[in-house]
Parts: sequence; C-alpha cells; structure tokens
Amino acid sequence: MGEGRRGVIEEPYRWLEAVANRREYIQDQLRGATPVFAVSRPEGVFLLGAGPGRTKVFEIYNRHGMAAVGNPVDMEKLRQSVIETAHMEGFNRSPGDVTLRRLVGFSISPALKNAFEQIVAAPLIVEALFAECGAARGEDVLARVGYDGTPEYPADGVGVVFPDRERERAAADWLAAHLTDGDGLARVRGLCLAAWSALMDRDAVFDTLSVPEPLPVSLPDHGLEIALIDRASSGPAQYRMLVDADFSP
Amino acid sequence: MNGDFLSLLSSNPFSGLTVGEKCPELLEATTVFAFHFSEGVVMAGDHRATAGNVVFSDRTEKIIELDHQSLIAIAGSPAVAFEMARTLQTTFEYYRRSQLQVLSLPAKVRALSRLLRDNLPGTLQGVGAVAPLFAGREPDGDVPAIYFYDPLGAQFEAAGFAASGSGAGSIRSVLHYLTRWGKPRPEQLDRGGAVNLANRLLLTAAQFDTATGGVDPSRGVFATIRLLTSRGIHTVSEKEQIAAWEKGGGA
Repeated sequence: MGEGRRGVIEEPYRWLEAVANRREYIQDQLRGATPVFAVSRPEGVFLLGAGPGRTKVFEIYNRHGMAAVGNPVDMEKLRQSVIETAHMEGFNRSPGDVTLRRLVGFSISPALKNAFEQIVAAPLIVEALFAECGAARGEDVLARVGYDGTPEYPADGVGVVFPDRERERAAADWLAAHLTDGDGLARVRGLCLAAWSALMDRDAVFDTLSVPEPLPVSLPDHGLEIALIDRASSGPAQYRMLVDADFSP
Repeated sequence: MNGDFLSLLSSNPFSGLTVGEKCPELLEATTVFAFHFSEGVVMAGDHRATAGNVVFSDRTEKIIELDHQSLIAIAGSPAVAFEMARTLQTTFEYYRRSQLQVLSLPAKVRALSRLLRDNLPGTLQGVGAVAPLFAGREPDGDVPAIYFYDPLGAQFEAAGFAASGSGAGSIRSVLHYLTRWGKPRPEQLDRGGAVNLANRLLLTAAQFDTATGGVDPSRGVFATIRLLTSRGIHTVSEKEQIAAWEKGGGA
C-alpha cells in the first residue's frame, strides 16, 4: 500500500484521537472549577456563582444573563461574542426578537462546537448557563452549553454547571426538590450555597443531604456574585446584581 | 471588543437613510426644551409632527430615555432622530454590558455629536436635519447637565436652559426672562412648579407657532415631561401633571 493511501485511511482515526485528547484536556482544565447556578423563580431568574465580583455572573441583554465556569479569557471571549450578537439582533430587529434559543442555536453552540473541533487551534475552555427571563415563570428559558457546544435545556427551572456531570445532575435534582414557590430570595441563596458546598465536598452525597439550619449566607474564602433578572423591572434592562438589602425578609 | 457599538454597526451594515429623486413631504418634529430646576433637569416636548402645513401626528413622543442617566429631546426629521436615539440606546447599553462600566457623560455627549456629523449629507440635502437636546449626568454625579447641538454636530453646554425646534424662539425668550428676573427663577422651582412651567411654555410656543401642538391641559392633554435627578429618570405621569396644573392655577 502506498504512503498516500495509508494517510487517507489513518486521517479519520487521527482526528478522532485528537478530539478525544482534546476532550480529556478540557475536562482536566475544568476540574478545579467551582459551580454556578441559575434558578427560575416567581421574581425572575436567580443567578449565583462564587467569585470576587463580575467574574462568573454577567448581564447579556435586556432579559438575558449568563453564569460560566472555565478559563477567564475564554469566558470573556464567549461573553463578548454573545453580547455582540444579542445587541446586533436587538438593534436590527427588536429587543423582543432576542431569544435564548436563537442565541444558542445560531451563535453560542456553533461557536463552541467549532472551537472544540478545530483541532489545530486552542479550544475554548468554558461551560456556561444562559438564562432568559420571560413575562411569566413558565416562559423562562435556561440553557446549559458545554465546551463542545452541546446545548441542554433544563426543564425543571434549575440549572447547574459543574465539571462532574453526575454530581451536577444530583445537585440540580436536590435543589429542585427543596425549592418551593414561596421561598424568598434569601432561602434560594441559602439552598444554592448549600448545594455549592456539597458539590465542592467530594464526600457529600446528595441523596442523604439535608437542608442545613440555619441556611448559609456566604462562603468561606469566596465572595459571591448573585444577580436577578427581575421580572417586575419597570425598564427594559431587567438584570441587576443583588445586594444584602434584597435578602432581608 | 472595545465596546464601541458604532464600529460594530459599521462592520455589520444596517439599512441607512437613502433619498430618492422624488423627495416626499418631509416630517418635522417640534418643540422641545430643557431647563434646570431645584432637583435637576426637566426636559419636555410637545406631541406634534408636521409635514409642511399638515399636522401629521399629535401623539409623537419626543423625549426619549437613553439609559438610566441620560435623555434626548428630538427636533427635526423624526426618521433620523428616532434612529439616532435608538442607536444611542444600544450604544450605551452595549458599552455598559461589554465593558462592565457605564459610559462617561463626555463620551455620551460626543457619541451624539458623532451621529450628527455622520448625518451631514442628509443635513446638507435638507432632508434629515436634526437639532437635538441632550441631558445627562455622571453615574456618581449629583448635578445633571444640558447640552444642545447644531445640525452639524457642534455641542454646547447650556448654562440654565436650552430649546430646539420651530417653537424654540418663544420658549428661549420666556426662559431668559425668568432666569434673569423671575421670582422664583426656574432653577429655584420645585417639581410641581417646574412641571407647570413646562406646560405653560409649550402653550406659549403654540400661540405663535403652528408646528407646536398636541398639548391642551384644558382637555387633559399634557406635554411629555421627564425629570433627570440624582435619583435617576422620572417620567411625569398625566395624573402628576393634572395635579401640578391645578395647583398652579390652571389656565
């Protein structure tokens, strides 16, 4: 068999191997990430991450926000890209035409998939939750987009991103089981922080995890970034960072 | 990724204003003004848009909130002016979200100047001239400022008041008189007094200018009035205007 013929046969295998190596490399890079949360609430969509401020939770557009984990430079690239797309879409059509499903479908997912499969270029080491606040709670949309561009739309109003997918799902299920419509923002924060701590504790098991009393209000050694895409906001920009006063009863 | 929406826009062209050989009767929007009162700035306008001697609309909103700290009052060609306002709204929000900080007041003032300058061909052809007013404050600033522009984009900060549009002459005259000899002067007025003065100014302008209209407190039709204070922007409701009008003695 000639050299050229062998190259043709081997190339798909090399590509698959390169993609598998890439997946392993990205997962390894993401391993130390701390979780982020998005929860659909009667007040709007609640976003939470641990960081020193504006490093994990961001405003995207009038009723859109994101919370991400990964390399800060890659998070910034993704953030800028989606902000740019949303504003061009809102300007050329109307703000109401900026929808999360379209942003994910024609912008976010293709960009991440392309970056993941371009094996000769550096990958984007980032996974993110995107949130859209609807007029009513049932119209909220959450999307989890993986580093390879795969979108998932949590149906129970709770989104979590964490490098360990199995524990991520367990945390989302635990939160969905313990959140009720009557919970105030302080309880939502407390439950998210309890889930955050459990995710970071390798020995914690969500099946047996009880709701801590009192609920935590902060994290040791970490600042908090908490935002609400406020359904009751009077202006077009519904996103706002929450401050201590927002959690008082 | 420098937060400049206008650069982003130029690399993703959007349909601009073009002028055919036969130009239709052009719409114009008048009259708008702004003055300082005790809490900040009041910006107001009538509701009339005209095309030649035809009243095209008596329900035009000419005072537009650009973001939480700035207002624009449009006078001139609505087609261009509304597009400028929309562009500025997106520009300010795009910058704030992408750069994680609010655009400074001087940058906002110059952004409008740039749009006016870019509209030079339309202005020179006489089909798209706009002479807007701008009011804004720094995010941590207490005292808002008023700016006025010429149609080519030159910007000027107003000492106490500014007016634009076909009825502006009457309003400038009255405000000049009140600023110099008024007791109280406009900058000493409380909220109700400022709202009342705004409606009276528009009625005065309408007396001498047919293109100023759409304000008739006796029929419960009031001006568009927005207040820019240290607490942000407040749109004065019809109910508040009725109360101020009645407190001020009505017609």
